[in-house]
Amino acid sequence: MANDKTSMQLVANGILKENPIFRLALSMCPAVGISTTVMNGFMLGIAVLFVQVCSSVTISMVKNLIHPRIRIPTYTLTIATWVTVIDMVLAAYLPEAYAKMGIFVKLIVAFAIITMRLEMFACKEPVGASFWDGLGMGLGFMIGMMTIGLVRELLGSGAILGYDVLGFKPLLFFILPCAGFFVVGLMMAFFNYIEVFYKRKKGFTS
Amino acid sequence: MRNIITIIVRLTLSCLIAAFVIGLCFVLTSKAKKHNEHVNEEKVIYSLLGYKGDAHPPESLKLSVLYRYVVSDPHGKSIGYLVPTGQGETTAFSFIRLDLDGNLIDQKQVAVGAEDAVEQEGRDKAIQAALGPGAELTYADKTIIVTENGNRISYLVTGKFPGFKTFVSVMLALKPDFSVRGLAILEQEEDPGLGAEIEKDYFKNQFIGKSFETLKTLDVVKEPIPEEYLKALESRLQKEEAAKIREQFKDHAIYALTGATISSRSVTNGISGTVKKFAYRLNILDKVIKDQKIVVPF
Repeated sequence: MANDKTSMQLVANGILKENPIFRLALSMCPAVGISTTVMNGFMLGIAVLFVQVCSSVTISMVKNLIHPRIRIPTYTLTIATWVTVIDMVLAAYLPEAYAKMGIFVKLIVAFAIITMRLEMFACKEPVGASFWDGLGMGLGFMIGMMTIGLVRELLGSGAILGYDVLGFKPLLFFILPCAGFFVVGLMMAFFNYIEVFYKRKKGFTS
Repeated sequence: MRNIITIIVRLTLSCLIAAFVIGLCFVLTSKAKKHNEHVNEEKVIYSLLGYKGDAHPPESLKLSVLYRYVVSDPHGKSIGYLVPTGQGETTAFSFIRLDLDGNLIDQKQVAVGAEDAVEQEGRDKAIQAALGPGAELTYADKTIIVTENGNRISYLVTGKFPGFKTFVSVMLALKPDFSVRGLAILEQEEDPGLGAEIEKDYFKNQFIGKSFETLKTLDVVKEPIPEEYLKALESRLQKEEAAKIREQFKDHAIYALTGATISSRSVTNGISGTVKKFAYRLNILDKVIKDQKIVVPF
């Protein structure tokens, strides 16, 4: 199956058209649980980006060697290996960041988005395209997490990136995990609305 | 059948490759990780003692580490302390065993180098060898006694107690009269924005200067922090002014965090308990050391 998209189109696809959080609605658990601040979202995003790119490239390289019946265990194994590697490297060289995101990094093994991209894309496409797709998906996830983090941090603690901008805390509720569902839901509605609006303007009926 | 064998062989192979990659990574990073942990601990210790950033501690400052163990043997349970002995540059260690009433059972030389004593594995092995078979060791905690020219200037005590979600682990710097000199939160997993605020200056600095007597009955109040006290806690005031305001609130209860009364209360009770237990244990150990005329560097 040949891919006719250019590298930039693949990246843009991951960020906009198939954004993991807002359009595919995958990996909602971390999106809701961890995105309490912009920084948290950013750090988990970086880790996911790295795991996604590495696993996509690895699977794409060995796609002809994988027995079709054991592809899912192989994906999980690949992801787990990369996650462990990142976990160790972070613990050794960036201890301060690791102290904050340590437990989230181990959770990446179970992220639906990574397995899904390996199954849908990397096991069929060449290495180059898989790299760009992984990059796009990772960036899409990171941007999604940071946007949710921005809303929650601003409304919950009145700060952005740890700097107090409002001087007061509008709604403490937004810090709690349950508020993540509200933010994600509202943002999904917002993005869908923009899409509908955009299509109508162009003359399409949705 | 052939299919099954292929699957087994391939899966095993993939696992072996993955194991190899992970193992290689571990070998490459384990040294840096240990080094980091050590450096981090030292940074916390020195910043608690007031040497922040580039300020280097003076040469006369010396840290002696006591490791506390619980020993179970056929005669029952006892408490053991691994203490450095001798004056000046010490490399000798003794294991002092006390019964539950605080009386000395025995004192044994432990053959362990200063380097090995830092690592738990090497330390446990050496103590086990000194005690002989039959005794079971359980590591409890460690305390650091800071001396300057032979005079005790501070104790560094670690404490671990349940917070709102999981355990909160802290390191306390105490003055020789057991009043609080500094507090560092080492590990916590409280809710960000609520319980996690225990790490912020305006909460943890409230403990600084609390005397032993105050700590024993320290309580939490659910009131907003007075504006001037808040400024003093976040060090936004001149030093003399801040010290004056702090002096004013010295014996006041801890102001709870908004929306995190349970976290505030558990930290307060935890610190109070840690200090009380430490003072009790140290007095017993000091008495034994004095009675037995053991030469120690602290």
